[in-house]
Amino acid sequence: MADIPSIAASVASLKQHLEAHRYICSDQIATAVYLAYHLRKPVLIEGPPGVGKTELAKTTAQMFELPLIRLQCYEGLDEAKALYEWKYGKQLLYTQVLKQTLDEVLQGAKGFAESVKRLHEFGDIFFSEEFLEARPLLKALREEHGCVLLIDEVDKSDHEFESLLLEILSDYQVSIPEIGTVKARHTPPLVFLTSNNTREISDALKRRCLHLYIPFPDIALEQRIVNARVPEIAPRLRDQLVRFIHDLRELDLKKVPSISETIDWARTLLLLHADRLDPELVRNTMNVILKFQEDIENVQPELRTLTDKAVRS
Amino acid sequence: MDQLLTNFIRALRNADVRISPAETLDALSAVQLIGYGDRQLLKDSLGLVLPKTLDEKAAFDTCFDQFFSYRARTSLRSPTPPSAQDAATADRGDNTRDRAAEANDGTENRETEAGDGTQAGNSSAGSGEARGERSGRGQSSEATAAAREARESSEDVSPGEMPAPQSPLSRLLTRANSMEINIAINAAGQQVNVYQIELFTQKGVYTRRILEAMGHTALQEEIFSLSDSAAIPDRRLAQDLTRRRDWLRERIREYVEHQFLLHADVSGRRLRESLLRDLRLSSVEQRHHRLLRDLVQRMARKLVAAYSRRRKVFRRGHLHVPRTLRRNMKYDDAIFDLHWKSVKTDQPKVFAICDVSGSVANYARFMLMFLYSLEEVLPKVRSFAFSSDLGEITDLFARNDIDTAIALALRQYGSGSTDYGQALADFRKLCLDDLDRRTTVIILGDARNNYGDARTDVLKEIYDRARRVLWLNPEPRAIWDTGDSEMRHYIPYCHQAEECGTLAQLARVVDRLLRIGL
Repeated sequence: MADIPSIAASVASLKQHLEAHRYICSDQIATAVYLAYHLRKPVLIEGPPGVGKTELAKTTAQMFELPLIRLQCYEGLDEAKALYEWKYGKQLLYTQVLKQTLDEVLQGAKGFAESVKRLHEFGDIFFSEEFLEARPLLKALREEHGCVLLIDEVDKSDHEFESLLLEILSDYQVSIPEIGTVKARHTPPLVFLTSNNTREISDALKRRCLHLYIPFPDIALEQRIVNARVPEIAPRLRDQLVRFIHDLRELDLKKVPSISETIDWARTLLLLHADRLDPELVRNTMNVILKFQEDIENVQPELRTLTDKAVRS
Repeated sequence: MDQLLTNFIRALRNADVRISPAETLDALSAVQLIGYGDRQLLKDSLGLVLPKTLDEKAAFDTCFDQFFSYRARTSLRSPTPPSAQDAATADRGDNTRDRAAEANDGTENRETEAGDGTQAGNSSAGSGEARGERSGRGQSSEATAAAREARESSEDVSPGEMPAPQSPLSRLLTRANSMEINIAINAAGQQVNVYQIELFTQKGVYTRRILEAMGHTALQEEIFSLSDSAAIPDRRLAQDLTRRRDWLRERIREYVEHQFLLHADVSGRRLRESLLRDLRLSSVEQRHHRLLRDLVQRMARKLVAAYSRRRKVFRRGHLHVPRTLRRNMKYDDAIFDLHWKSVKTDQPKVFAICDVSGSVANYARFMLMFLYSLEEVLPKVRSFAFSSDLGEITDLFARNDIDTAIALALRQYGSGSTDYGQALADFRKLCLDDLDRRTTVIILGDARNNYGDARTDVLKEIYDRARRVLWLNPEPRAIWDTGDSEMRHYIPYCHQAEECGTLAQLARVVDRLLRIGL
């Protein structure tokens, strides 16, 4: 069991521990985790794709040695998939069993009123926790020692689902009509929500969260990230490729390469035993960092100058 | 409640960062957790709690730097009162110079006294007048001031011994360091509610009020009486105090300026916004376009927010097995109450046709702006622009940012002579087949056709196919149908025709649209 309070004692310590788990981050990001832990507030993370939004939640879970419960959002996601569902099969099966034993149960009952009363003694057995299939959100609330709940790409879900989240995010509880309110046990989960900004998240949701925007990192930080993720890479190549990527981001592209692409590229170059960038190499491995043919074609003419610039400086 | 934080939040709100009371409480607990000690940490933390969009973050950054820079600057640069500095250097000053000064003292003194004598002689009439007036006080303060000025400038008393100042403010000025004085200014500022400053013309008033609150009158009196005194140390003090007072005024002016920047800018903005709403769109100045754009965007977003809630449950689509089973349990598993999965959004298609010809040039810009915002928030908008030939600009909008898109659209289609007939025919050719019962067609234009063929038959065709045809005309209703306007011929084939020359009118149209459904 990790000593969570001591890890989260200060921003610096958090940053250090995150780095120990190979997540290199800025002070702002570490501050977000710090505040999330101490204020018990969910964090809404926004930023361009591939800057490590999801990774932050995963690493936090690793660092605190807490289970990570992940809910991937998509259009049409509803409470049956996110929160809870009844085990219909089991319910049906039990009904059949009950049918056979109904006679026993009702034996000796006089009149309709008494029969009903006896049946009532079964209570709402079909709608008890036994028959409840917990989905990620409910699971997260029921975790004994707390957990990290990752609600991924919340912008892909519908407005209704956002409203569903509100109760969980502010009070760490959900209301299930048949059972009542389920509250988080002992420690409420650490909640991370990520969004790619495909649509505006509602104000009500934002108000309940800390809002962290992760931009592309600066050169020094990105070099450290590559270093942490692909430690085998030669320093010279690493510097060159990070500079190259940074220049590439300045261009007008359909999809700019993100950190994950930088790392992929570093791995690719490592595999090819490259020790420095040259135009030919870049041309051949272009498809690792650029994901649209249009972009690749646009960059082709600039390739030599970009490579030279990255190699020289 | 933390006064500093609430003031900061007030300033943030002025910078258009929306902060709810709940967030204020969050900020408060964040500050309690981390304290004010580490500036960067404070900025990071508040930056997580308060601003919730990228725009707001940018606003937050500038606001934070401005708000907390004041303190940082004063403690860094520490502009101590000038004469205090002089005194300090004199105190610290090398002994040799002091001794030299002492050696020269006799002659110097004699000289200054001689000078004093002549000057006193020269200005004796003036000072006599001043004294006379001061006894019969308040008649002409200007003259007094002039006289005093003359006296002050004429005298250049060398630094030396001074009596202790009397009034509280002068004592503060001579004794305290700049930090304490800043604190005093702050306190006085709070006392006179400088946070309520709204217009730049109020700066002077607030500067004066703060001066008053700090005991300026007493200081002034003291300077008066001291400078009238015969004793040189007294006059020396008067001069010193005058310098300190001027320095103080400067500080207060800075302080008020700063407060104005933080607190007042927004009311001006609000005023501008409300004016803009009712201004004819064609006459909005270039420099207000940004603001107008924000307004338009906000409106479009409102439209979509309200709209996206309208959903219909269709009795078609996939069977929702779990729910059906659950609902039918009570019927002994005899399944007859069916439940369906598909909750379908009734997404309307909007076709917007915008006249960008010369006659509506100013207006076109704004209409395109509205179209652009609409396209950003509604998924299925197709936009068209024309002067005579009509072309689709949906892609152009999708690919460029708002300013370039509008400029491109105007360059490509704009400022020709209007031909509605041709445009409608083009539209028919382009996409009549795409019109169906779910389509709303919005036409933005003045219907001034240069006496050409109006082609109402095409509009009728559109009218028959589409769910709604809506005409938004920038001209006042009174001049529709005058001159070459074809409005009267077009109106029969529109479900609705509205005057739409100001933002307020546009808002009304949008509102009505929402109520009856797009």
